Amino acid sequence: MERDAISEPMIDAVDVTRTFGRVTALDGVSLRVPRGSVLGLLGHNGAGKTTLVNVLTTMVPPTTGTARVAGFDVRRDGDQVRRRIGLTGQFASVDEDLTGEANLVLIARLLGAGRAQARQRAADLLAIFDLTDAARRAVKTYSGGMRRRLDLAASLVGRPEVIFLDEPTTGLDPVSRMAMWEIVQQLVADGMTVLLTTQYLDEADRLADTIIVLSHGKVVAAGTAAQLKAEVGQRSITARLRAAEDGPAAMAAVRRVGLTASHDEERRVLVIPVVGFADLATVVRALDEARVEPAELALTEPTLDDVYLALTDQTSAAA
Amino acid sequence: MATTTHPATGAARPTVTAPAAWHGSGLATQILVLAGRALRPVFLDAGRLFFSLLQPLVMLLLFSQVFKTVADTPMFPKGVSYIDYLVPAILFTTATTVATQAGVGMTNDMTNGVLARLKSMPVRPISVLVARSVADLARGALELTVMLVLAALIFGYDPAGGVLGSAAALLLALAVGWSLGWLFLAGATWLRGSQNVQTLGILVMMLLQFASSAFVPVKALPGYIQAVAKVNPLSYGINAARDLVLGRPPGTGLVVALLVSGAVAVVGSGLAVAGFSRR
Repeated sequence: MERDAISEPMIDAVDVTRTFGRVTALDGVSLRVPRGSVLGLLGHNGAGKTTLVNVLTTMVPPTTGTARVAGFDVRRDGDQVRRRIGLTGQFASVDEDLTGEANLVLIARLLGAGRAQARQRAADLLAIFDLTDAARRAVKTYSGGMRRRLDLAASLVGRPEVIFLDEPTTGLDPVSRMAMWEIVQQLVADGMTVLLTTQYLDEADRLADTIIVLSHGKVVAAGTAAQLKAEVGQRSITARLRAAEDGPAAMAAVRRVGLTASHDEERRVLVIPVVGFADLATVVRALDEARVEPAELALTEPTLDDVYLALTDQTSAAA
Repeated sequence: MATTTHPATGAARPTVTAPAAWHGSGLATQILVLAGRALRPVFLDAGRLFFSLLQPLVMLLLFSQVFKTVADTPMFPKGVSYIDYLVPAILFTTATTVATQAGVGMTNDMTNGVLARLKSMPVRPISVLVARSVADLARGALELTVMLVLAALIFGYDPAGGVLGSAAALLLALAVGWSLGWLFLAGATWLRGSQNVQTLGILVMMLLQFASSAFVPVKALPGYIQAVAKVNPLSYGINAARDLVLGRPPGTGLVVALLVSGAVAVVGSGLAVAGFSRR
């Protein structure tokens, strides 16, 4: 039993479907999140991200399929699941009229803490989230970033095993976003399992171990950021030439080794789509033989944006 | 951003490996904590407290002046001053206003995400609803008591039923208001945080308050309003409260008022729980 609990994924959804009337919000979604890892859930507005979070946090039962969180079925053992999760929604769900401290104390008390324990836990979390100075102020006076930090702190009061972050940085300024990322990274370092929904690809790239792309309620791609990029996006070598006259010679050299290239004459840049790392050596050798010495040579990875656009394009074309 | 701004020491950091120290709270704790939370801003916000106490007083002042001459009409009970006639009604209109606030409070919780958080926690739906209801009951008790005391001090309210009669009327008004509060809570959960709850609340409240025996005897109302007033639970409550205040035996009116309130509370709370758990 103990061993099972450790090897068992913290989130395990099998063929989850959820319909609202005629609208299918989730269409056979399966996913597994191992303990201590971060799953990034990417998708447009309306792709089904929030519905999936709602199903996994027991707020909406699945129409068909099963989902287990922290080892408990979301439908049968909702209360057990709710004791082990934290949820930070898209809109900071803290009481505006109460102080930051009162919000955290309230949650601790509801989770079963005594008055003194609750105050201690609140003080600890306020310190961790850099809110001690604002502890006695009503939340309505907080900035967006402070509110979001308090909201995350509120989700952590009960020492959850799994935390759901539904677009945690939407609407935050860059500094607050970075601060939020650091906090999430720290949580993961402590062994927390995180499910993160986001529209920002850099956020998923930076925080998530595994990424799932949702579109129209279906999983259209899953894997690490690198896998997704390798699968869909195209790596390429960009070579910036020293002189425009080098252009034709460089083009010919690349063609001789069986690769294609496009030449941006104005910027003196050659773009050569390649498959793997070995092609870099091939290109370097070919250019060297043609006595073309580029000013700059780089292997560029596709960005997640390329991946995301490619994937969502495919699905809308198929639909 | 390499340096961390969080004084995160290993011990203070929230860790998953630490087993959860708490195993959920009981129903009573949940209700108490949530009711306290709902009441807190009422007492912390001096302005809000002042205005919620001011409202029944302004009503008392306005109505006692505007409708004063009603006491001289032949349909008005003989030997009763209008202020003694009016106070029981203001008890009920105030209690009804407090009842609509229950719906408004729930609506706010739905729109600002507090309810979503509570739903993601091991908190029972009934605790959330009962807490809201209890909080407004406490607020109503405070407002009605202050109103009665000031009516006696400022407006010369001195009915034949004495302190006991007035206290009984206050309790009855609270009971009726509390039961109506469940209807507004139900409305809030079914309308899902729509701002229409407030508008609807005001409409229903005005209908209940004016199409009743609150301000003038039912006999003095036009026929079609009389029809509404006669089935209006508020009329029964107000009539019974008036009897209590004026030192007359309240008779069956009191029983009817309590029965109707009980029925309204049962139906309202059932609808509220169903609406709360829906989705």
